[in-house]
Amino acid sequence: MSLLEVRALTAGYGPVEVLHGIDLDVDEGEMVVILGANGAGKTTTMRAVSGMIGRSGVVNFGGVDITRTNAEKLVGMGIAHVPQGRGTFPDLTVIDNLRVGAYARSSDHKRDIDRWFDVFPRLAERRDQRAGSLSGGEQQMLAIARALMSHPKLLLCDEPSLGLAPLITQEVFEVLKKLNVEEGLSVLLVEQNANLALKVAQRVYLLETGTVVASGTAAQIASDDAIRKAYLGA
Amino acid sequence: MERFFQYFFDGLSLGSIYALLALGLVVVFRGTGHLNFAQGEMAMICTFVVWQFNDWGIPLVLSIILGMIVGFALGAGVEATIIRGVAKKSQAGVFVVSIALFLGLNSLAAMIWGSLPPEQLPGLFPDEPDDFQRIFGAVWRYEYIGVLAVALVLMGLLFLLFAKTKFGLAMRAVASNPESARLAGIPTGIVLASSWGIAGAMGALSGTLWGGIVGELNAGLMFTVFIYASAAATLGGFDSPGGAVIAGLTIGVGEQFLAGYFPGWIGQEMKLSAALLTIFVVLLIKPSGLFGSTKVERV
Amino acid sequence: MLRIDEGSLRHWLIRVLGVVVVAFIVVWVPTQMSSSRIGQFTDAFILMIAAMSLNLVLGFTGQISIGHSAFFGIGGYTAAILIKDHGWSPGYTFYAAAVVSFVVGCVVALPALRIRGIYLALVTLAVAVLFPTLVRWKKLAWLTDGSKGIDSVRYEDVPVWPILGELKGREGRAVFMFWLGLIVVVVTYLVCRGIVKSRFGRALVAIRDNETAAAVMGVNLTTTKVLVFGVSAALCALGGVLSTLKSGVITPDGQYVTLLGSIVFLLVMIVGGAGTLWGPIVGGLVYVWLDNTTRDIGTNDSGILGAVFGWADQSPATLILGLVLVVIMFAAPYGLVGLAKRLGRKIVVIVPRPVGSSTSR
Repeated sequence: MSLLEVRALTAGYGPVEVLHGIDLDVDEGEMVVILGANGAGKTTTMRAVSGMIGRSGVVNFGGVDITRTNAEKLVGMGIAHVPQGRGTFPDLTVIDNLRVGAYARSSDHKRDIDRWFDVFPRLAERRDQRAGSLSGGEQQMLAIARALMSHPKLLLCDEPSLGLAPLITQEVFEVLKKLNVEEGLSVLLVEQNANLALKVAQRVYLLETGTVVASGTAAQIASDDAIRKAYLGA
Repeated sequence: MERFFQYFFDGLSLGSIYALLALGLVVVFRGTGHLNFAQGEMAMICTFVVWQFNDWGIPLVLSIILGMIVGFALGAGVEATIIRGVAKKSQAGVFVVSIALFLGLNSLAAMIWGSLPPEQLPGLFPDEPDDFQRIFGAVWRYEYIGVLAVALVLMGLLFLLFAKTKFGLAMRAVASNPESARLAGIPTGIVLASSWGIAGAMGALSGTLWGGIVGELNAGLMFTVFIYASAAATLGGFDSPGGAVIAGLTIGVGEQFLAGYFPGWIGQEMKLSAALLTIFVVLLIKPSGLFGSTKVERV
Repeated sequence: MLRIDEGSLRHWLIRVLGVVVVAFIVVWVPTQMSSSRIGQFTDAFILMIAAMSLNLVLGFTGQISIGHSAFFGIGGYTAAILIKDHGWSPGYTFYAAAVVSFVVGCVVALPALRIRGIYLALVTLAVAVLFPTLVRWKKLAWLTDGSKGIDSVRYEDVPVWPILGELKGREGRAVFMFWLGLIVVVVTYLVCRGIVKSRFGRALVAIRDNETAAAVMGVNLTTTKVLVFGVSAALCALGGVLSTLKSGVITPDGQYVTLLGSIVFLLVMIVGGAGTLWGPIVGGLVYVWLDNTTRDIGTNDSGILGAVFGWADQSPATLILGLVLVVIMFAAPYGLVGLAKRLGRKIVVIVPRPVGSSTSR
């Protein structure tokens, strides 16, 4: 049984339906990526999964039906969502951002903070700086660290490469890969940068105008010429 | 020289009341992005509640604490029901609703207590004619000192709440990025309601202190204080609690100086206009106030 | 559901019917009702004018203003000063008040250029509170008579108008004020309608919906905002003149001269329907009706309201108004007129003329 099971997910904004029945799975310890062009509905999928927008269909997490669950409760259940555009708290300091991440879990967060400062030394240097004054890459790392403060089983990451220089993007992906491989963190990733994503993910879903048009292992998708030409720019 | 200190002390005490109410405005604005037009009226009706408890025999200090609890409940209740409901439909609607609240609470207070002779709210502090301290030659009445002390203590507590507590962190997070706050598992609804609740409680205290100084209690009690508080929040910056306090004290002291040193031009009657002009000038030059942050608006 | 083509015979029949109904009411009231009832209609007219003026700025341009009571007061005081101290004939004071208020309105608009939302509300709040304070200022007492106010502002002789014949005494005066008010309402309505349906009106709505986009599309924000504030202020002043002539007196605490006046205008506009032409008119009627119905609640049992509020010693009018406002914001954000339009559309739909047909405008 998968960790995350999504069936017939339909969602939209107001009268406009954007997702027309999506099926996807994320198994424990897997890194799955959703690829697709702009407007395909990738971010909408993420927001629908984490309950930020109204949805119909079924979303199961760890065997529990969370279709009707409020977004705020998901952190407690083990899902952490890093939204598109970082989603840091710009007026709070770096360290306060991390503390917020630990809000839902009352465990000793001081140790966690130290740990993430080890993983992201640049954040440690800026611990008392306002998050809004950090560079894009640093904010992305901060957002991921914040999400991880809650010890999630599943990390939802929406376009982490957006607006980041290639070198920084690589760093970010390396961290994600490391966490996935060494700690068994399950990751559902949304990306436009197909090349990079295919290198780190195990399985791929291809989204186009609200429906899944292809899915398979990263190797399969990468080697399929027709798909490459049509969606991934060869 | 003693005139200078007289105005200064009086200004500090009165200004601290403006600062308390202004803090309520700022907490609501920072937490929810709204201007609570009914902040003064909420304070006023809670002051009546305090008087009523006291009139029923409950000791004054306890009455005040109960009044603040009522204020909290009133604020939180209003936010959770009316404000949130309208906010979903239209942001401008929230302002209109707070105006409706202004009218409604004012009318309600007049209806429940209005026809009684002007009420006397017993002062918290000794207020006999000879209860004062002479400092630098100026008279500083005990009740004024008391007002300043209570107000400062409460502001201090509020700052501790924001800076040092987990809930305060949650409030700051929701103010900074409400969507991410939800994703981080913060119960945003409770936080929003609490912002208004805190404003209600601060208002209750502000009204009680003011009522104690003014001596007379009626539905129009807090209107001018609300204007002063709005001027303070504007001057200090609507998203800066520290700014609200500094601005409130400044306006308090400033109006005393203006009225005292220019009795012909300004005097007691025109003090309010000085505060109003402050609003104008600040909004013309730096709308975000002295300590507020200018936020870039997304087109 | 009935579908009717725009411009067809049936459409014109509906319009004619509407005009006949209105004309009937308008003639019936002053000839058949008591002078106090007639006076209530005049009160409604005054509110309609003020609400229509506010509607231009708030309903159509999206600029929050709770300062229109100042323009109202400026109108009233201009008229009072001109009539009492300078012997002007009351009729001309309308024009003078409009001009003075227009200038002040343009000046007030200047801070509005750069700020929005609550900050604009605060500026207009300051204007509304500042006006009565200034009127009371000792330094200006030579002009305004301070807190006392100016009284005995009346038409010396009620002019003799052709159709109405001679109007004498209290009855005559009431009927005269009614007709005068009606004329000003119609003028205000036509001005508003003309503006709204013009290019200028479209610029206003563009500003309301998205200022930056409007500017990018070529709307001169400065000129437009300043002008609309000026016009709105001028129209509101007409209401002030009317009110002063009707009651004969104006004081800094007078009706609608204080901040409360601004709030009432806002209420009337919203209950009637912001952003609609008929909203303020409907709102004015509703407000006056509500005000009169709740006036005597404390003293004699008046049905349901008496049962609910009988214990209070003061009139619950304002409380009820506050409740009505909240209900409207939830149930009918576009006011009664908006509600009527929505419901009306279920019964009758006017099908617009297709563009490009020979008779299209």
